Amino acid sequence: MLTYVSRRLLYSVPVVIVASFLMFWMVRETYDPCARLRASRDAAAVSRCEERLRLDDPVVTQYGRWLGDAVRGDLGESSRTHEAVEEMIPRALWSSVQLIFWGVLISAVVAIALGVYSAVRQYSVLDYTFTGLSFLGLAMPPFWFGLLAIELLAVGPKRWFDLDQPLFYIVGLHSGDSSGFDLDYLRHLVLPVMTLTVQIVASWSRFQRAEMLDVMSADYVRTARAKGVPRRQVILRHGLRNALVPLLTVMALDIGALFGGVIVTETIFSIPGMGSLFVTSLSDGDAPVLAAWVLVTASLIVAFNLLADVLYSVLDPRVRLT
Amino acid sequence: MTSAPLADPATPVLSVRGLTVDLPTEQGILRAVDGLGFEVAPGETLGVVGESGSGKSVTALAILGLLPSSARVSGAVELHGRPILGASEKELEQVRGAQVAMIFQDALAALNPVMPVGTQVGEAITVHREVGGAELRERVVELLDVVGIPNPAERADQYPHEYSGGMRQRAMIAMAIANDPALLIADEPTTALDVTIQAQVLDVFRRIQERTRSSVILVTHDLGVVAGVADRVLVLYAGRAVEVAGVDRTFYAPAHPYTSGLLASLPRLDRRARRDRRLHQIGGQPPSPLALPAGCAFHPRCEHAEVPGRCDGEGPELREVGPGHLSACHFPERVPAPETVER
Amino acid sequence: MSTRTPRDDDGLVEGPPRDAGPSGVIGAELLPSATGEFEAAAHAAPVARSQWALLRRRFFRHKLAVVSLGVLALIFVACFGADLFAPYSNTQQDLLLGPVSPRVGHWLGTDELGRDQLSRVLYAGQISLKVGLAVALISTFVGTAVGAIAGYAGRATDQVLMRVTDLFLVVPALAILALALDRFGNEDTTIILVLAGLFWMYAARVVRGQVMSIKEKEFVEAARASGASSTRIVVRHVLPNTVGPILVTATLGVALAIVTESTLSFLGFGVQPPETSWGNLLKDAEGTVGTSQAYLIYGPGLAILITVLAVNFVGDGLRDAFDPRSERRR
Repeated sequence: MLTYVSRRLLYSVPVVIVASFLMFWMVRETYDPCARLRASRDAAAVSRCEERLRLDDPVVTQYGRWLGDAVRGDLGESSRTHEAVEEMIPRALWSSVQLIFWGVLISAVVAIALGVYSAVRQYSVLDYTFTGLSFLGLAMPPFWFGLLAIELLAVGPKRWFDLDQPLFYIVGLHSGDSSGFDLDYLRHLVLPVMTLTVQIVASWSRFQRAEMLDVMSADYVRTARAKGVPRRQVILRHGLRNALVPLLTVMALDIGALFGGVIVTETIFSIPGMGSLFVTSLSDGDAPVLAAWVLVTASLIVAFNLLADVLYSVLDPRVRLT
Repeated sequence: MTSAPLADPATPVLSVRGLTVDLPTEQGILRAVDGLGFEVAPGETLGVVGESGSGKSVTALAILGLLPSSARVSGAVELHGRPILGASEKELEQVRGAQVAMIFQDALAALNPVMPVGTQVGEAITVHREVGGAELRERVVELLDVVGIPNPAERADQYPHEYSGGMRQRAMIAMAIANDPALLIADEPTTALDVTIQAQVLDVFRRIQERTRSSVILVTHDLGVVAGVADRVLVLYAGRAVEVAGVDRTFYAPAHPYTSGLLASLPRLDRRARRDRRLHQIGGQPPSPLALPAGCAFHPRCEHAEVPGRCDGEGPELREVGPGHLSACHFPERVPAPETVER
Repeated sequence: MSTRTPRDDDGLVEGPPRDAGPSGVIGAELLPSATGEFEAAAHAAPVARSQWALLRRRFFRHKLAVVSLGVLALIFVACFGADLFAPYSNTQQDLLLGPVSPRVGHWLGTDELGRDQLSRVLYAGQISLKVGLAVALISTFVGTAVGAIAGYAGRATDQVLMRVTDLFLVVPALAILALALDRFGNEDTTIILVLAGLFWMYAARVVRGQVMSIKEKEFVEAARASGASSTRIVVRHVLPNTVGPILVTATLGVALAIVTESTLSFLGFGVQPPETSWGNLLKDAEGTVGTSQAYLIYGPGLAILITVLAVNFVGDGLRDAFDPRSERRR
């Protein structure tokens, strides 16, 4: 197991580095980091800028220099705000982690409950209802759902009922200088988490239902019933326990992907997370930030992929990692 | 439909009357079992024999209410005179594993892959009795030992995939006998095993039965297994009983052409001298349960059938042709004794 | 999950299908339900050509799929025949009218320039649908070719394909898109090419898996034994048997491309005015949320939702037609 994990980690280092280089290279090719100075027609300022960034060097050399610094913990500075990237990334990551944590927690609970119920009561009215809703959820463009949520649950009611402030907030994670886990935080969380979870719940609950149906018709479930195990225990100990193995794997993969993918939710609800950082840096052609961003998200994706494999082998004794 | 007479005058452990099972399929309703009746006496082993699709496994599952909920089951099943067909799920849970236990074919699929074998055996005990801790552990190890699993204490903590095929089947047996049930239903317990392992498992089976004196229903398509273990034999064809008799009469004086055909198609060492003779086979295919032939379901494949006539006109009832011997054939006297099949 | 030995099922109908792979893996938010849908497509079983009639019958048994096909046809005719059907022209302004809420004549209302929202939705549909169809077509074509080669040739080609897929897994699609658009111009052709350049991997993976399993089958061995060339085997024997999964993948690709394009346009990285897609209309309407003109967000969003929903149902119907076993599990 340990050799497997270390080998996998070793293999993924080049993938992560190549990805971040590609990003750096594409951004350098596309954007001119000294464009603003060029507009000022101050030739001296432009050449100072070019010299500072050593743009004359080939891109590979520039990237190599950046990577060398990065290994020592210096991720460079944003070419837009001149802020240190190693300070920007953790701050953004923390916002995204909060969003992902709540989103995944709620999605997992709801999806497992819906999936198990639908499988156990297959073809019941509620099963059909959940199935219909999940089709709707899978087809729902997240950004439109975000707009609808804002209109129908936040600003709409405020306008219709003439409230002083909306029930749910639509900007950021805290208002003013408040922080920590309080009512204000929850009122900020509701809508973004909802927007984030719609598709995830739909997808995970479908998956869980299919798995559960599969497992519940397995021979060992019939054996458990033949032993006289009560229905509830059959569903939980034999059914759910087995159906959770593939679901948890899928969850781990999806969570990894989410670190680079909460872009829509964060943009709509102005949450200063990884997604927003990516969009603003992209519009500004901020190469150091973007290269670091890819380095971090790619590492997280790789890590969660690995976690998925490890989880599988821990949960299913038949699987050996070698 | 008349029930088979008892080998033992005591109250039967299990009595099945008019059992009918309909399974909905995409092509229509499939009648898997049609008006089946039989009884199992205390300590008796009843062999249930038939081809694939004859309804033998469905019968086994129907007794304990383990068929999918879409199945329509009617008739009566009584355990010690108490009706269990149509009983509530709660009542059935108390019967399953405690009074009637099942052993399934293909133990690899029938054991939970993510649960240690010992835990699965232990669960069979704890769902029916308040046992725990060291006592439970002791009982589990003892059960594994009884069925002949080496190093039972160590093996208890292993998972099914770490067992060999024969050991998995033994573990299934250990699970089934955990509560000393009055009736064991074994559904093709040896089909998936190598011949040598089959013999070992059957041996365990016999020892267990001698020890516990429980009744056994042995569902199989293997007449060899039946000959070695069963007291009486029930032959099924297309969901109906076609012959019921003691094991000796079944093998030496069958009264149904299907039974005699099955016997004749058994390869036998003492017949090898006649290499020019091909192994006997029953002609034709088993009928589709969705389109059974009129009259006797076996008549299209029967060498002795009177067609057109009674055999394709009227379905034969199961009736007594000898002491404790029932046959559903219009012309049981035409059925040749096994020796005369081969001339 | 568990291995099963073949056994006498005694006519029991409830035999569980055992090859269930993950069927709900979602990708990043930007690529909604991508992996899941595509991996589900892999379940569609191969089928011989002579069975088209049977397939058609099975497809038409799936009521929702048939209705969806009708809805899609309607949407297509309405959008591409917008010159005939739209109440107003695409750009016609009515500054005197200004913004009005939905009413007779302006079924989805008008924006602050007095442009009829329904007409705009119909015209924008041309771009959205074109992108969806073109991306699905190109990516399926390329993906099928690459997947077939990788699956059949094996080893080296296969390794390269898998590494490229790995890389694309961690490089954000949005970045590639935005940069490509910046470089090659914000036109729908660029978007189509870039999206197809990202999506071909899904089809390639499905086809690769199918080809790898089919090439082990006896009838391919037989063809090889009788001296058929590799190309001939792939084109004549292997590909026809992967038609089901390819068709399902292509269908779901249409939905995925439409949602992705609209998401990009909404974030400001997609097509640029004067070209307008449903995503652009929503971007325009974003500012109206919370005002009395919020009605503008419903039309384009519903258009996307209904189209994607219908495409998914059609894909579902196709999957059932090619793999009747999947029906029971829904």
